[in-house]
Amino acid sequence: MAELMMPDSRRCTYFFLYDGSKVQGEGDPTREGICYFYPEKTPIDKQELLCGQLAGVSRCVSELSSSPVRVLRLRHSKFAIKMEEDFFWALGCSADFPTVSMCDLLDQLISLFCFYNGPVRQSYQENSRETLALHWSRYLLYLQTGSTELHHIFSCLRTIDSTHIDPLLLLKAALILQACQRCPLVLAGCILFRGRVVSTQMPPDLTVKVMAHETQTYNKDKKPNGVSSSAPLSRAVTSTTVHLTLSELQDLRSTTVDRESRSHSTPSKDNRPQRTCLSRTLSDTPSTDSHTDLETDSPDTPLKLDGLLSPVLSRGAEQSAARPTVNPLLFQFSESSPSTNRKGPRSGGNEEEDEDDSVLEKSYYYSFHSHGGNTSQADLQGEASPLAEASALENEPSATPMSDRRSGPGCWTPGQEGSPEGRAASRGSRDGRNSGGASLPRVGDKDRAVVPMTLYQHRVKGLVLALLVEPHFQRDTEAMEEVYHSSLASLNGLEAHLRTMAPGPPGPQGPYIFAHYDCIQNTLTTNVSGRAGGDQDHSFVRATSLLHSHFCNSEALQEAIIRSARTAVYATRSVAQETYFLQHGGVVRNSGVPNHQDTAFSLPSKARHRLLKHGVSLL
Amino acid sequence: MSAKTSLLKVILLGDGGVGKSSLMNRYVTNKFDTHLFHTIGVEFLNKDLEVDGHMVTLQIWDTAGQERFRSLRTPFYRGSDCCLLTFSVDDSQSFLNMGNWKKEFIYYADVKEPEKFPFVVLGNKVDVTERQVSTEDARQWCQENGNYPYYETSAKDATNVAVAFEEAVRRVLAMEERTDHLIPTDTVNLHRKPRSATSCCS
Repeated sequence: MAELMMPDSRRCTYFFLYDGSKVQGEGDPTREGICYFYPEKTPIDKQELLCGQLAGVSRCVSELSSSPVRVLRLRHSKFAIKMEEDFFWALGCSADFPTVSMCDLLDQLISLFCFYNGPVRQSYQENSRETLALHWSRYLLYLQTGSTELHHIFSCLRTIDSTHIDPLLLLKAALILQACQRCPLVLAGCILFRGRVVSTQMPPDLTVKVMAHETQTYNKDKKPNGVSSSAPLSRAVTSTTVHLTLSELQDLRSTTVDRESRSHSTPSKDNRPQRTCLSRTLSDTPSTDSHTDLETDSPDTPLKLDGLLSPVLSRGAEQSAARPTVNPLLFQFSESSPSTNRKGPRSGGNEEEDEDDSVLEKSYYYSFHSHGGNTSQADLQGEASPLAEASALENEPSATPMSDRRSGPGCWTPGQEGSPEGRAASRGSRDGRNSGGASLPRVGDKDRAVVPMTLYQHRVKGLVLALLVEPHFQRDTEAMEEVYHSSLASLNGLEAHLRTMAPGPPGPQGPYIFAHYDCIQNTLTTNVSGRAGGDQDHSFVRATSLLHSHFCNSEALQEAIIRSARTAVYATRSVAQETYFLQHGGVVRNSGVPNHQDTAFSLPSKARHRLLKHGVSLL
Repeated sequence: MSAKTSLLKVILLGDGGVGKSSLMNRYVTNKFDTHLFHTIGVEFLNKDLEVDGHMVTLQIWDTAGQERFRSLRTPFYRGSDCCLLTFSVDDSQSFLNMGNWKKEFIYYADVKEPEKFPFVVLGNKVDVTERQVSTEDARQWCQENGNYPYYETSAKDATNVAVAFEEAVRRVLAMEERTDHLIPTDTVNLHRKPRSATSCCS
């Protein structure tokens, strides 16, 4: 299917992993530290230049500010940065790709690597760089291909087009997963068809990782083996070791059905975040206590200060780094004066903050802006400029640290990382993908620790049942056969159903374009077809990308209209969703001055009306 | 000829809850699960077996008995080699509905010669003590509808299950043999040059 692929230049242009511990002395060549560099054909001296400069700049800034750098901006590109111990990752995109999505991509990439290879340091001790380079390139490819541009903007899961399949089949898939969970060694699972999610019991970020393996095995043995015989268990079944973070594991264990006795350690069970899995299975219907969670902590309205501030009180100092201290209550609608925004909360009520925090916070918003237009951080400009000049890569950008919130953890909502209350409170924005502390600048040992688990996969042609199971499941022949046999017939059937329900040609688009992003399930519904879209499709995607960034950056922003001379896109969001809408045709009465007859103002009601039939309720 | 493995598709039809899935599971995996949920749509399992010297892969299609799953199951009737009409001996309604199942099958499977199509009738759950359908009634129905073989089975204690499926295979093989014999008389050999054609053109 020829989908609306983003030209390569729009997404990851550079990616590298640099190991600072390999380059300690003056004479150590930079290349010693380069573990992986993409594009791999880049001349080594250019690799060295980029690695050396970016690592140097980031190190310097982070030492000055005692907090890690998240984004570096150059004139034509920007880099998402991640520093952990001696490791330094950078992922570069062109300047017009949303920063939020770029940071997501880097986080996903790293956590994907750790999921299959374990901790980075350890895997580089155990494997050659060449082997792991292969893995990095594979993950990079996986995260960037096969999706539409809109999918990349939201970093969302690829799901099957549910408009073309009988909902009963989704139920069937959910029941298969549930039946597997009767085996106590099975934690959770998902069912995928041709690289798309049919049903999952796992949180979205975990599903993405599990899917990576599926996609690879699918591509490897694409030739269907005719009739899937029930006899040899080994042919269709594979198992591989994966590494779950402690929080991921706790999430899975504590929410598995009827498994109270088995959940080993959930000391903080009461204040755990609500699971963010795709609740498509019966087993996942939210329990009553998670409803309470939702009610008490939901940042539905930013006025709920309690929910937002509670993480501060309940969390250790080392985790507070993850909490941008912007108080949504006081956050300005416009971003014209970012420094005010930043300072707002300071005077506004987060009195309990310590000094360390304030330093941390600032450095989130650092970026090197080529135009130097924004001087809101004048106090730091002096130091930063020469640094950036030193980092002249292609354009000798004069650097100005600017407090552009987009460069910071714009997508990080208060207390999101690691904090149960915070996560629950901020689920509306970006929870799920960022869980597990993977993107924490300073993670506690607990968050970095991983537990080996087993990923069991049972393939029936294009259909895959993937289960996260306890490691000793593999040795438990009885349990394995039980799971295999209890699901085989249903998988065969489901595969037959899905195969015959080939998606017909997409119907006429209708007089409007929409995209509906479900933040909880991390899924996207849209009528932007995969095929090469027209002008309006492109403007819609661009507008969506821009508005999505804004939503991520400003907690308080709920509705927005973005317009050009010809068209207008309306966007609205709530805790759980973001919706974007464009109406085709019609005379745009745009006088340039706000005018009640302006057609743009009828967009909200049109969106509400039109999208109802897509199951999107904007009421 | 006999060394070749052929794939035979048999389909289990009957009211919801008569034990179609259990029959399939008992036959293929020799297991009985009391906690089975309604089948949604269709499911199938393969089993390799040898019947009278023929190697056969039996593909057993299990279907949803509930009316609401009708649109999901009917597309899969096509291509069946044999149909196992199933009822439960402790449920007279399931027995009475067999005629409807047969009609539904013939319609959706697009059977060309319904009177010749191999049906096998299974009265399941004979382990249950309170029967509502007597063996005589069942036999009579089979007699009247086309002289179908009838088996009283129990998926729970494995009574007659294998026998019934093997009978289905025999029926299909017998059918095929008959058609095999018919083929030469009905076909036209395209490789032979028709003489008249050449003379006509010249």
